[in-house]
Amino acid sequence: MTALTPPPGSGDEPFAPHDVTWSRVSPRLALARRVTLTITLGLLAAVVAVVGLVLVGWPWTWLVLLGLAVLGAWGWLLAGWQAAAIGYAERADDLLVRRGVMIRNLVVVPYGRMQYVDVQAGPLDRAFGIAQVQLHTASSGTDASIPGLPPHEAARLRDRLASRGHAQLAGL
Amino acid sequence: MAEGTEGTRGPALTQDQGARLADGDWHRVHPLTPVIRSWQLVIFILLVAVQNLGGDVAQGDLPELGRPNPGGRLLAGGGALILLAVLAVLGFAALSWRMTRFRVTADALELHSGVLYRQQRRARLDRLQAVDVVQPLLARVAGLARITLEVAGGSGSAVTLSYLTEAQATSLRNHLLARAAGLHYESDEAPEAPEHGVVEVPAPRLIASLVFSGAAVTLVVAFLAGITAALGFGRMGVVFGAFPFLVGVVSVLWGRFNGGFGFRVATSPDGIRLRHGLLEQRAQTVPPGRVQAVRVRQPLLWRGFDWWSVEVNVAGYGGGGGTDAASPENVLLPVGTRQDAMAVLSLVQPQLTVEPGESPAEVVVAGLDGAGPAHGYLTAPNAARWVDPLAYRRTGARVTREALLIRRGLFVRQFDVVPHARSQSWGLTQGPLQRRLGLVSFQLHSTPGPVTPQVPHLDAHVAAALLADQTERARQARAAAGPERWMEGVSASPTEAAPASPHPPSGPPSDRPSDPSVPAPGTEGSSPA
Repeated sequence: MTALTPPPGSGDEPFAPHDVTWSRVSPRLALARRVTLTITLGLLAAVVAVVGLVLVGWPWTWLVLLGLAVLGAWGWLLAGWQAAAIGYAERADDLLVRRGVMIRNLVVVPYGRMQYVDVQAGPLDRAFGIAQVQLHTASSGTDASIPGLPPHEAARLRDRLASRGHAQLAGL
Repeated sequence: MAEGTEGTRGPALTQDQGARLADGDWHRVHPLTPVIRSWQLVIFILLVAVQNLGGDVAQGDLPELGRPNPGGRLLAGGGALILLAVLAVLGFAALSWRMTRFRVTADALELHSGVLYRQQRRARLDRLQAVDVVQPLLARVAGLARITLEVAGGSGSAVTLSYLTEAQATSLRNHLLARAAGLHYESDEAPEAPEHGVVEVPAPRLIASLVFSGAAVTLVVAFLAGITAALGFGRMGVVFGAFPFLVGVVSVLWGRFNGGFGFRVATSPDGIRLRHGLLEQRAQTVPPGRVQAVRVRQPLLWRGFDWWSVEVNVAGYGGGGGTDAASPENVLLPVGTRQDAMAVLSLVQPQLTVEPGESPAEVVVAGLDGAGPAHGYLTAPNAARWVDPLAYRRTGARVTREALLIRRGLFVRQFDVVPHARSQSWGLTQGPLQRRLGLVSFQLHSTPGPVTPQVPHLDAHVAAALLADQTERARQARAAAGPERWMEGVSASPTEAAPASPHPPSGPPSDRPSDPSVPAPGTEGSSPA
């Protein structure tokens, strides 16, 4: 913990402190998000195709469908990048969570400030074998959620966070 | 304010309870409660009724006496209906009173309530965040008060007892605070902690501060625009259309006047005491270490007077919501001189522990109206002018051993202080444009409230260092944090690190002795030896 305070202006990257080893989430998260994206855009495309053909005609309908396809391709790529950008690190006193490709985000949550831990898994998440762990503090601004964890890792993290939170419990 | 033990103004029914509510038995709230809680609804029903009947009378529909006619029957039926509605409202309120009971044990306050949906709520006293005694106008006339115990369970987690007699409310407040402080007392009555007055807000200054506020300026501009539209262009519709808006602005101004009237800030071993209110009077007690964050603020129009307002985040109070109109609980000082604001700030954050050879007051002043890197403030680099052209020179952050200080705002000056021992979590964000410019924003997450501390557009490496520094300082502060029960550690270890010091050493400008008329049976001396 002594190396935690580099002098200002040292070459530490803000979103990758030098003494932190990041844990990655499962690549199945990208897959799950792509499936969601495909289903949503597919339904939208079907509606556009039917309504467009009946009311407007060919060229405009094709244009909108092309736009949806581009959107889908972009979302497909972004899902992969986003899943790769998510990382978390359990340090001695706090949990670090980082995420985001376009807008990058890093949050530090001390274990002693933790009020409760949520583990969530929707039907699609369960089908892909992933779950989300979320830490809550007394602040509603704390956005420390880690999606895309394998269930056993989610359970391990939950228990680990709970026991560390209990050991280091600070008041509000 | 303390009425002693006898509830002289309360009806005889509660005499047997006296002020001893904290005996672990179940009690009911005051029997006048249903009337006071439902009077607005009753008045509303009566108003509607009078309006309708009055209309009938004006149209000559009133039946002539002695001649039965359909109109007369209608009138009688209407009267019966109104009576029934009023009785139903009062009856339901009475039933609700009957179902409400509470008890105060050594560790908790329990409240059972609800007619259709029953609710049982238990608040742990060591989790107490603030205690408010509130007297709306009618309750004040009747000598009653309601007491609200805030615990940190988010909005709607408070336990409210309405209504008790004033004496009961005061005595119960003292008991709750003594228990929450970890104080054990032998006498029947919990000792009242002595108070030091720190700041008072004179009414003329409050009025002037409202005149020179954004809301008042909006009102004047809207009024002039309305007059112009009405007279110049003959469009009366504009005036009527703007009416709800004007009513809204006026009610905001009235709310601030009503809440800030007679504002007094005092300090006691139980924490910060606030008393304020014109029609609805409010006496708040926020124990030491319960203030999560402070914001000292100066709107543009107050700059000539050098006036400042102070708002706080307290877990349980909630409030804020993004607008500048904080809810009345969150206001620590509606308007005050620079000296007042700094005195109030020193109540919340007695120590900053700056570097040796540096004066804390200078650091604070640099935060209030300073700019640039003087006094150790980390500033935004020149690249920030592309994303924040006006205010980037003022942006600054300073980490001391006890707290993080953040200054912002060119037109509306803001200065946030967050004790390290109270910071919940913190982080960095970087948007695509910021990435191009090598900038990163730092956020600190506090409990919900008007204070949202953040430092926008720092140099990426400076932000990384700030994050690391904050992490380390907060770790040390958590390790050295004072006890939740703030009187427990007082005599045992008077360490300089204790943030819950009962009296701020960097003194508020009032060195006058505590009011001798306040009964003060030695709260400070009676802590466990």
